[in-house]
Amino acid sequence: MWITIYYIFCYLVFGYTMLLMLSYLYLVIMSRKAQGHLSVNMPDDETIKYFLEGSPLTPAVSIIAPAFNEEVTILDNVDSLMKIDYPNFEIIIVNDASTDRTMELLINEYKLVEVPYDIAMKVQSKPIKRVLKSTEEKYSKLVVVDKEHGGKKADGSNAGINVCSNKYFVCTDVDCIIEPMALYRMMWFVVNSHRPVIGVSATMLMSNGCIVEDGRVVEAAVPNTLVPMFQQLEYLRSFLISKLGWSSINALPNISGGFGLFDTDVAVKSGGYDSTSMAEDVDMLLRMVTYMKNTGQDFRLGQVPKVCCWTEGPGTVKSLYRQRVRWARGLFEIISNHRKLFFNAHYGPIGAFTLPYIFIFEFIAPILELTGFLFMIWLILTGGVNWDSAIILFGMIYLFSVFMSFFVLYFDYSAKAVEWKNTKISYLKLLLVTLLEPFIYHPIITYCSNVGYWRFISNQTAVWKPIQRRGVKKKK
Amino acid sequence: MSDVSLLKYYFNLIMAYCTYYFEYAINMFADYPAEVKVAVSVTVACVILMLIMSGALLVLSHKRKRFAKIQRRVLKRFGEGMDYMLSAEAKDKMSRQEIAEVFGIPPEQIGKDILKNNREKEVFVHEFYMRFITERSDYANRDNITSLLYLFNIPEFLEKEVSLRSMSKKVDAISKIRTFKLPVSPWVINKLLNSKYLHVKRLAMYSNIMLSSDTDLDYFETDFFDKYSCIKDEIELAYSLQRRRRAGLKLPNLARWANLQKNEQSQCMFVRLMRRFDELEYCDQLTELYKTQMRKKKLIEEISRTWGYLHYTDGEELLKDALLTQPDDTKVAIMHALTRFATGNAIDSLLEGYHNTTNPHVRFEALRCMYNYGEMGRAKFYELEANAHERDRKFFEFFKNPITLDRIRLDKEQAYHPSVETVYNA
Repeated sequence: MWITIYYIFCYLVFGYTMLLMLSYLYLVIMSRKAQGHLSVNMPDDETIKYFLEGSPLTPAVSIIAPAFNEEVTILDNVDSLMKIDYPNFEIIIVNDASTDRTMELLINEYKLVEVPYDIAMKVQSKPIKRVLKSTEEKYSKLVVVDKEHGGKKADGSNAGINVCSNKYFVCTDVDCIIEPMALYRMMWFVVNSHRPVIGVSATMLMSNGCIVEDGRVVEAAVPNTLVPMFQQLEYLRSFLISKLGWSSINALPNISGGFGLFDTDVAVKSGGYDSTSMAEDVDMLLRMVTYMKNTGQDFRLGQVPKVCCWTEGPGTVKSLYRQRVRWARGLFEIISNHRKLFFNAHYGPIGAFTLPYIFIFEFIAPILELTGFLFMIWLILTGGVNWDSAIILFGMIYLFSVFMSFFVLYFDYSAKAVEWKNTKISYLKLLLVTLLEPFIYHPIITYCSNVGYWRFISNQTAVWKPIQRRGVKKKK
Repeated sequence: MSDVSLLKYYFNLIMAYCTYYFEYAINMFADYPAEVKVAVSVTVACVILMLIMSGALLVLSHKRKRFAKIQRRVLKRFGEGMDYMLSAEAKDKMSRQEIAEVFGIPPEQIGKDILKNNREKEVFVHEFYMRFITERSDYANRDNITSLLYLFNIPEFLEKEVSLRSMSKKVDAISKIRTFKLPVSPWVINKLLNSKYLHVKRLAMYSNIMLSSDTDLDYFETDFFDKYSCIKDEIELAYSLQRRRRAGLKLPNLARWANLQKNEQSQCMFVRLMRRFDELEYCDQLTELYKTQMRKKKLIEEISRTWGYLHYTDGEELLKDALLTQPDDTKVAIMHALTRFATGNAIDSLLEGYHNTTNPHVRFEALRCMYNYGEMGRAKFYELEANAHERDRKFFEFFKNPITLDRIRLDKEQAYHPSVETVYNA
């Protein structure tokens, strides 16, 4: 009987691996197709600007950025947001009852005064104490919301949604570095779609290693330390293959909380962000999709392949561990809370393809990998390994993973997704981490995922700790 | 041995090698289980794909380098001339000789091919186009630009590009023809009106609207826009119609097109365009649409706004009658239209709009309309303020603060932007 179980397990893993590779291949083909489509429909930044800048029809956008105890960087960050190139936008900074001088600095710097407000609480958030605007015309885009402490970014974002007066809003972190043309790139997707666009995801990369001047990334570079380097490659793969591929069949499963555009009305009707969720961005998007499908409305979700936002990612294994454990918990929570969407064609391609894919290949994979690892140790100890076959099978998986990363670099170069300062060096670094990733980074991520699942199952209290930021390099 | 037989010989040799090693590989793994054979095949496929991608990367890199080299050459020779043509110094009409002089072209070369090949022309037009759209020069003299492009044989080049099979080149060339408003042969655009590619077809339509002196423009007689219409279409249409109007050509009857569409989104688009292009004379043609399509909320809103902006006062009674039966957003659009009419007959309707709703947004907008409805409205506004319920007092604060008051005035709004009706929340 043990022999039968052994064979079943082996063939199951082999079949699973083949299916996983096929699904990756499918995403590669779809992302390539999407890129071909975009090469015709998405002109360069200058043309988009020329087209949208002068038109009164260009949709207005609200940028919502919650802030808590950001006295060191708040003024630089608001200045950076003010420099975004777009004809019609407002910036909503939500002060989540900071205990430092964040609010005081904002009031003094931008000459803010309290204005009348009557916020209809469209989505749930802690009470808003006051709304402030600048007396100076040059800061007329700025709205500052002072609210009671909610403790979560989701609560701050919801307060921003309550104040937001535009059809679209972008949710971001106050310390993200946004590309000046980011809103044009995202809104081009909106104005170019024949179906109502409810969300647009934008490519986001790590700012670790980049040179920043005047609140802008002026020299894009791959980080020099190993942990952020792995993540840079992972982000590129996620945005340029996975998300772009899914978006081509309107099945995008996630719009990053770091920088994503949403339809305000649909977000409000779906209840906004859930401040109790560990994966509030995925959760809100799935609720928006559910709302649209349940009310029989057609919609479109999109992905912009060009990099629009830079964020500082975990620089050490310890902070990476914390982040990934949280993400794993979030994934478990999503699967548990939105289970009715899974394998349900009523919810369109997201229900029929993306969520089953996430369940089978993202959720189960770490469990299967851990089991496989333990099984392998047992086989080695009992001398049950056919080494010739094992090496060939491992070679296949390794080369396929290298092929995927190689494709990302090819895609990045052909689509000019990132304007690297030194393309050759950046690609060499990324190729190096491509070769190391299966041995170093992947086992760490698998371990973190299993820890996250265990913590969710064992109902351990989730404590959110911010990533320890080292700051970006500034140009001298 | 001839060249052909030598080629055949080498081809057969390579094939023989490939066949040999393929069979060798198959035999090598003949005794292995199926899953190992699959693994080997996948591994080989990955290696081959990576080699192909490496090749593609090299080709792409070479192409970019070549483009950059030509770009440097073209800019070195003509860069300053391009900048001059877009500057204030070139705002007066210049002769062909003068333009040639700016670019340092000797008179005997005029009329000949100044740029060596199509690649140089592509780079030249690209560079000039990027400068043109980036600088948005107010001084640029359109006639000079046309003469300059003719001097470098660019229209002929773009006409050829439009005929190419590459979709991206077609789209690129049409966009440039439109932006520079080049008087290309009508057939160049017309033959694309039936293109199987939606994107090309549309661009051709917009170019035709802009460039053709024909007033028929019968593409909208069909339900083409019923299937596909987006904000970009509206922006493109507005742009083309604007250029048409500037050229002194007659504008089409947009109300007729609105009536021909079935899709609410397309109907709204044409109704919005009516107010953008001041088509007051056709406003009466919307009456039937207004009466029969009451269930289309967005359309009713747009018709109300258009009537309001264009001061089509004949529609006032219809709007007043409909006010209380409409959903909240439509109520707001109607109240704004009544305010813009400023006939003095709608004060009671605005009051009803204020009292017959529990939605704070609608109540606020009703107050805003009264505030902007001349002296009579203002008097009613102060009367309401004096007797306001505690719950409503907060509304009046907006009218006292200079920052929020700035957004309350209706006279400052752009006539095209629907978002002017959302002041309340921020």
